[in-house]
Amino acid sequence: MMKKQALARGFGLPISVGLVYFFLYIPIIVVIVFSFNDAHYAYVWRGFTTRWYYELWHSAEVWDALTNSLIVACSAVVLSLTMGVLVVWHGSHTALARLFPLFYGTLAAPEIVLAVGLLTLFSALDVELGFTSLIAAHTLLGLGYVVPMVHARFSNLDKTLTEASLDLGATRGQTFFKVILPLLFPSLFAAGLLVFIISLDDFLISFFCSGATAQTLPMYIFSMIRAGSTPVVNALSTVMLVVSSIFVLGFSWIQVRRMGMRGVRL
Amino acid sequence: MRNIKIEGVTKSFDGDVILENLSLMIPGGKFFALLGPSGSGKTTLLRLIAGLETADSGKIFLGDIDITHMPINERRVNTVFQNYALFPHMNVFDNVAYALTIRRVPKDVIEQKVIKVLRTVHLDRFIYKSIDLLSGGQQQRVALARAIINEPDVLLLDEPLAALDLKLRERMLVELIELQDQLKTTFVYVTHDQFEALTVADYMAIMNKDGCIEQVGTPKEIYEFPTSVFVASFVGTTNIVHGTLHIYDGVQVVEVPELGKLAVVAPADKVWAVDGNKIAMSLRPEKIDISKTALEGFSNMLRGVVKSIVYHGRSTQYNVRVSDDLILQVFEQNEEHFPQEVIDYDDQVYLYWQKENVVLLNQ
Amino acid sequence: MNIVARIKSACMRESSFFMALPAFIWQLIFLYVPLIFVIVASFMKVDEKLSLGALTLEHYASFTDPLYWVVIGRSLLLAMCAAIACGIMAYPVAYYIALRATRWKNVLLFFLILPFWINLLVQVYAWFFVLEKNGLVNTVLLKLGIIAEPLRLLNTPFAIFIVMLYCYLPFMAMPIYSILERFNQRLIEASLDLGATPWQTFMRVTLPMSLPGLKTGFFLVFVPSFGEFVIPVLTGGGKKLFVGSMISLYYLDAGDTQLGAAFTMLSGVVLLIVSLFLNWLFKRIVRVSAGGQ
Repeated sequence: MMKKQALARGFGLPISVGLVYFFLYIPIIVVIVFSFNDAHYAYVWRGFTTRWYYELWHSAEVWDALTNSLIVACSAVVLSLTMGVLVVWHGSHTALARLFPLFYGTLAAPEIVLAVGLLTLFSALDVELGFTSLIAAHTLLGLGYVVPMVHARFSNLDKTLTEASLDLGATRGQTFFKVILPLLFPSLFAAGLLVFIISLDDFLISFFCSGATAQTLPMYIFSMIRAGSTPVVNALSTVMLVVSSIFVLGFSWIQVRRMGMRGVRL
Repeated sequence: MRNIKIEGVTKSFDGDVILENLSLMIPGGKFFALLGPSGSGKTTLLRLIAGLETADSGKIFLGDIDITHMPINERRVNTVFQNYALFPHMNVFDNVAYALTIRRVPKDVIEQKVIKVLRTVHLDRFIYKSIDLLSGGQQQRVALARAIINEPDVLLLDEPLAALDLKLRERMLVELIELQDQLKTTFVYVTHDQFEALTVADYMAIMNKDGCIEQVGTPKEIYEFPTSVFVASFVGTTNIVHGTLHIYDGVQVVEVPELGKLAVVAPADKVWAVDGNKIAMSLRPEKIDISKTALEGFSNMLRGVVKSIVYHGRSTQYNVRVSDDLILQVFEQNEEHFPQEVIDYDDQVYLYWQKENVVLLNQ
Repeated sequence: MNIVARIKSACMRESSFFMALPAFIWQLIFLYVPLIFVIVASFMKVDEKLSLGALTLEHYASFTDPLYWVVIGRSLLLAMCAAIACGIMAYPVAYYIALRATRWKNVLLFFLILPFWINLLVQVYAWFFVLEKNGLVNTVLLKLGIIAEPLRLLNTPFAIFIVMLYCYLPFMAMPIYSILERFNQRLIEASLDLGATPWQTFMRVTLPMSLPGLKTGFFLVFVPSFGEFVIPVLTGGGKKLFVGSMISLYYLDAGDTQLGAAFTMLSGVVLLIVSLFLNWLFKRIVRVSAGGQ
């Protein structure tokens, strides 16, 4: 009796964990499998084919959407990183630092409120919805990640490093480029990557703020799902999945490598 | 070499007054030590000279130039930080070359100077090593090299040896003295360790807990002729005995309760040393002789019982009770392996000293 | 010389200030100003320019209609169920990875986090394949003979719930994992050493101490779920309205920004009040579990 109980207790946890992973991956596996389905309407298996990938590769719409997404994402990354780094370098250690919590507002507000607010702003200012409004919105999202992450890392840097640099004769500008920036680089890279992915992935704000001209990749997928899709969407999903996995793998690898570096206080 | 003149400087943090109306003259080209207990404001004073803090009021001069409001990077003053503050993303060479790199000195000149400086601090084998691979002592030398390559007018050292072990510290002290001798730069060395200060300094200043300078002088002056009880107790060990000064018929004595009259010499410049004043005497333990037998030729003698003995290797410390309220410390050099006289616990002993070796202090 | 130096350093300090400004201005213009616009818009009469005379409470007055409260209540219910279900599902997994798995820890963590990085729309789309009439679940159940007719799983509240659970699971798992990861295992050892069973140890030591993580995870799921737009629209069939779809209806379909603003404000205030209440509730639970037991 005791043994059975002990066994049950011993295996109960791993089994429930296994079930959760099953739950997490069944839909994904199905999507990948059906991306090779030789049928126009996706849900019944007819046979193996790779023609959807071929169609994906040749779809102008997909490439347009991807290009738009990339343009917006890159712009958002550059803008938010630049402004974020400047505000952390010039704002920390001054009275401005007390205003930093303002940047947490982006993550605290529900996304739909952000979307609605931005829409109201753009219509009030009579700004035409398109690339500009989209990039502005995504940069806002970016700042909400960049400032907290870079500020956290900056506060952890040894304050005497700045003092030593000034003491040796460098100006504040030289100190920034030769000492601070190299040391901040890991967190800048991480923040930039995060903003890039968030921008690429974003649907709700793009849906509200991009109008008809700038369709991003998630918006394309949404319209395809709404319209009744072909397995091209499966193929696209599979490709995006593979790319995401590579990103996450790369990210974790960088983290592991950083932890492994000896001695230096990072 | 230019002097550093600090005039009436006041500095407070968050309402706490650290330094108040402090004035000090640091002679150029010498090794100057600033000694004081923790929290005395000596690091603050150092940072004011470096420009890392700005004084609330007062002036600081480097030679004839008023540097009170000069920005950090324009002063010809360099600092060796307590935690070294080496740039972790640069190797030894780049760290040391930093001050020259930012001034756009040509590459070959930089290389020449860096190697020369690293040789001076005995680090020429580690030129391209990464910082995190260096030991504490090596990191300290890199910090030193980095600061002197600029050939500054003043080198500030903020407790640079605090993180090193004893043997290494002793060696570095000697190297620092040699370095200063060689460079002829003004060194200002901040420490709470009186042994370090006495070892390296040509001149030193003692600061007390309230941020005031108690005494300035050579190490010998400060050690042998302290001007206050604080200085006498803080620098080295001493016996402080309180009593009343009596001067009559050319005789100068201090009357101590239960011990009687002890002979002293009251120098003319101590104007407060008049008949009837309450006074403190500082008597260094090494100036006292201890013996189980009676000796001739000393101006003062006391009888006592040995209460404890501490063996210090080079010397032995005896704590001798001479009265109900007073225990005197005595240092005897261990001059011989097999001394003729062995003094043990509870022995009755005689303590002898000359009246010239007592320093009179105002209470 | 002194004066020149003083002016120079003052200029440097000021330019520093101007360098820091763009980020603040951006934040102000694109987050806080819009919020103010929305608040103001909710008090404005339709099609009128901004003036004191244009202010009205008529939009808020129309919220006495129970329809609005049904929508808000439905969203609250969905958010609560999603958060609680996520908590129940995520906790064992986070616990296992943090405290039990030794060799496979990093691998399991990687596969737990991976779905988080998959685009939301792809995640929703994937569930179509599972829940559809010809989808995985129906096919399997039919083949096994458990049912005779395919079940209608899509376009139901059940579908919305399951997909919400799926998409928000990582948000709950990560805070719990993070707090359990740093958990001092000596405490568990001490508890067992003093005679408690593993279950007692869990209930009295591990669980109470991991409550902050649970709380973080709860709000990370609850708050966004309340305003969720995509999932109810795509998987719910659009018959029943939720807060997200309702707001979208006002702004994008009807173009009624004033009423939409008012409704957004209303929902926002409700969310805030409920969140504060739940926060207070959590604090009480933590205090009880720390002291009472």
